[in-house]
Amino acid sequence: MALDATAPRRAGKRRSPRREISAGAFAALMYLPTLVCLALVLAYPVLYAGYLSLHRVGLGQLRRGEFPFVGLENYARLIEDRLFWLALKNTFLFTGVTVGAEVVLGVAIALLINQTGIWTSRVTRLLILLPYAVPPIANGLIWSFIYSFQFGFLNRMLFSLGLIDAPINWSGNPHGALYAVTVPYIWRTLPFAILLVHAALQGIPRELHEAAAVDGATAWRRFWHITLPLLRPIIAIILILRTSFAFAVFEEILAITQGGPGDATWVAAWYSYKTAFAPPNNFGVGSASAYVLALLIGLLAIVYVRFVYRRVTL
Amino acid sequence: MADKLSSKCEISRRLVIETMAKAAGVGALTSLPGVGAAPAQTGGPWSQAPKGKVDKVNFVVWTYGDIYTRISKQFEADWGTKVESTISSFNDHPTKLATMFAAGEKIDVSQSSPFSFPNFVDQGLAEPIDGLPGAADYIKDFTGFTKQVTQFGGKTMGLPYFSAIWVWNYYTELMEKAKIDKPFTTYDELIEHCVKAKKDGIARYPILWVAGVGLEQLPGTWYSITCNRGGTFFDKQGNHMLGPGSIAREVLKWWANTYEKGLDIADPESLKVQFTSSAKAFGAGKNLYRGPNHHYGLNIVNDPAQSPIAGKVKVHGWPGDGKTIGVTHVYFLSSANRDKEWAWKLLQYLGGRTKDGEYTQAVGLARDAMLGSGYQSVMQSDAIKKGWAPWGDVDAILGMWDKASYIGEICSSVYKPWHFPWSDQINIEVQKCLTGQITADACCDNLIKGIDEAKKKV
Repeated sequence: MALDATAPRRAGKRRSPRREISAGAFAALMYLPTLVCLALVLAYPVLYAGYLSLHRVGLGQLRRGEFPFVGLENYARLIEDRLFWLALKNTFLFTGVTVGAEVVLGVAIALLINQTGIWTSRVTRLLILLPYAVPPIANGLIWSFIYSFQFGFLNRMLFSLGLIDAPINWSGNPHGALYAVTVPYIWRTLPFAILLVHAALQGIPRELHEAAAVDGATAWRRFWHITLPLLRPIIAIILILRTSFAFAVFEEILAITQGGPGDATWVAAWYSYKTAFAPPNNFGVGSASAYVLALLIGLLAIVYVRFVYRRVTL
Repeated sequence: MADKLSSKCEISRRLVIETMAKAAGVGALTSLPGVGAAPAQTGGPWSQAPKGKVDKVNFVVWTYGDIYTRISKQFEADWGTKVESTISSFNDHPTKLATMFAAGEKIDVSQSSPFSFPNFVDQGLAEPIDGLPGAADYIKDFTGFTKQVTQFGGKTMGLPYFSAIWVWNYYTELMEKAKIDKPFTTYDELIEHCVKAKKDGIARYPILWVAGVGLEQLPGTWYSITCNRGGTFFDKQGNHMLGPGSIAREVLKWWANTYEKGLDIADPESLKVQFTSSAKAFGAGKNLYRGPNHHYGLNIVNDPAQSPIAGKVKVHGWPGDGKTIGVTHVYFLSSANRDKEWAWKLLQYLGGRTKDGEYTQAVGLARDAMLGSGYQSVMQSDAIKKGWAPWGDVDAILGMWDKASYIGEICSSVYKPWHFPWSDQINIEVQKCLTGQITADACCDNLIKGIDEAKKKV
């Protein structure tokens, strides 16, 4: 009897939903290792940079580990520095040109290689992807040779084709140097956009296009009303990722122009680098500028998600 | 017992390393011609082993050929102590050193250009060498340049790496083609030659300036011409000399006029080239004149392995009284050393005497790379006279050397920690001026304002 009385209670206890881990908690548990890793690898440096940006940090202080608190003084110095504002302006311009071009060209090339009527060999696809495998600094060096004023490949080619009769100073012209740096950058990063858009195109059902074609929709209308809306989520992702990377462009600047001529190609990451890592090694101001950059990237990501991203259900 | 055994083993290892290294050719290094031309002093403090014990020593420097591999081997052979090195490019070196120092790594010896050095001293990276065994002898042998670079508030903070002066180069074949029988003796004549060469179709861009972004490239060109014309950037009280009518400002106007918006005789590539790359670009044989820049560019442009016009480039001095500028780079004892005595020993191998009393590194640099020395005895030795001969007219260069002032006399801000950020601004503003974005007057006005801004950054 006693056994009869307790057995169902135990069984009931075992089945009680309150004793089982909820789906949310289970998900959190599964995320935990990743969260810990991200916290250590990403959050800690970001927070530490924030901490440094509020302190006076030179080489001596870093060595001793003693950082006098200066409040917002480093940020005030940034605001006063004309070069910082110029670097920000150049960064916005660079990002606008490169990300815009990457999205447009990425969609166009992905559509092209997605056409069943156009045969693209594996070699062609490999060649399209190849620039993404080139290390950024190597890419910068290659293009600095290509752009060389008297001995560069680009001028030589244009000259041989009869398109120019005098060499063009591609990366040494203050009005064009920033645009000159965008080309190698786009060349290197475009495959990423192509890859993502091409993968997204594979997921669009062919029937939608066939039905629209039966209804007399032109190719352009099919692209505008079917393909593009369905690509919005992936375009939003490309915008977020490529914007954040373009905002932090550094290697091509280092290899091709080093910020010159004059200050024509000073961008935000170059400013942070020069401030922190060149004497007098002001890591506090360098961290502050990097922090401002990170905040701007975060804001832009929110804007993209708010205005570009749309949940797509087929 | 165990201690005795390990001690025996250690001696034995040292002997093995010594024997192997000598067999590998280090012995040959010390017996090369030229070594020993500067008086060797055997039996001095450089031949005595440090008292302490370390498992290794290390240095952080910028790259130059294989000089560091060779001197490290010699150190290991002489003392049985392993040498580790961290070598980066010239422009990356301050960053590399700063990050290693900030990260708390051990650094025994490092290196600096005179422009970064006040910052390194100010931030506590370097230790004085006064009172260390043999230091007084080195100081006695320092050249004037070296004394000016290494002395801070009465303390000596380093030993010399190399010295250089600013000179001009000209390409004889193009000079002949342009029917110019001798190089310029005045600045007007320089312009005349270039305009003529361009007009006659001999050279599209007759002059290749060294005006790439850097501490010595673009600023050095401006400093050197200003110096030659009798100007300075600061007076003895530290007031700037960049105002209207100043020599530095007039030089900039003249210089900017050689670019596209003016006479269009300056190679646009000038704004990118560094020391070596300018010599290599000149080696393509498209320019009449190159410079002004370090004298040792000749060892590239007159080297058949590196230059198609080797043997046809000559060194040329300055107009007027021939005044020019010079510079000395230094090695220093790091305050983050693992053992001061051992760090001092290693520092001497790089910037002083080796165990045998020779200035091995300085002599090797003179002979192999045409570099000048920061020691009087080496400058007066056969290492220079014979070592430099394959690349240029040694007597002519030494004659120019006698007329050279240390760069700090022309631009005394190099002694200040704020010079580095101000130098960044010089690069920006002067390039804007040379590319026609702003006038020379606006450039100088911006630089005057920039002095206070640079001081705030320190």
